[in-house]
Amino acid sequence: MDGSITNRIRFLRFQHGEMSQAELGQRIGVTRQTIAAIEAGKYSPSLEAAFLIAQVFNVPLGEVFQWEAKGASSKQA
Amino acid sequence: MTYREKTAWLSLIAMAIAFVPYFAIVQASSHSRPSVPSLRQLGLFAVAAVVQMAILGIGHLYLSHGSADEARLPPDERDVAIMRRSISLAYYVLIGGMILVGCVMPFNSSGWTIINAALATIVLAEVVHYGMVVVSYRRQA
Repeated sequence: MDGSITNRIRFLRFQHGEMSQAELGQRIGVTRQTIAAIEAGKYSPSLEAAFLIAQVFNVPLGEVFQWEAKGASSKQA
Repeated sequence: MTYREKTAWLSLIAMAIAFVPYFAIVQASSHSRPSVPSLRQLGLFAVAAVVQMAILGIGHLYLSHGSADEARLPPDERDVAIMRRSISLAYYVLIGGMILVGCVMPFNSSGWTIINAALATIVLAEVVHYGMVVVSYRRQA
């Protein structure tokens, strides 16, 4: 099944007092560059890292990461 | 650029500086067909290995001094994923080259030709390994 993972990390960082990528990375044990890659959708994190990110923002996992099936939006339209 | 990408670049540069001249000299003198062992060939390889080690040693000192905090950190999950992918790709290059060197070349070559082909395979596998690391970091940057 084709699709892609999107995320709202940038928005959630903004909501949490403009938390920096470096700070988020430090809190979940990855580098700033890894957070940047996740945020840009260029790297899909492990489940563990995804849960840790959600925990930092105190939201359910589904509010951070979403799965968008290919063609789902065109089928709905 | 991450510390690990910089170290991958350093390894590529060290290999290019050490082994491009080595294989160029070997190729240029291929008509002489030295016997095994050949002190000249061994000396040439020793020089290439020492040059590579010196560049890596100095380079790592310089890089770890410049990004001390990052150098102390263990690789994170993305670093490990990139490393794993690049090593598995390099493995195929290495195993393909070794099959050629060990199973095909003994029928039509001998001595230093086989040894240098094995060395070239190892160097090529390392280039693929570090090249893949650099490409992966660049793609995800």
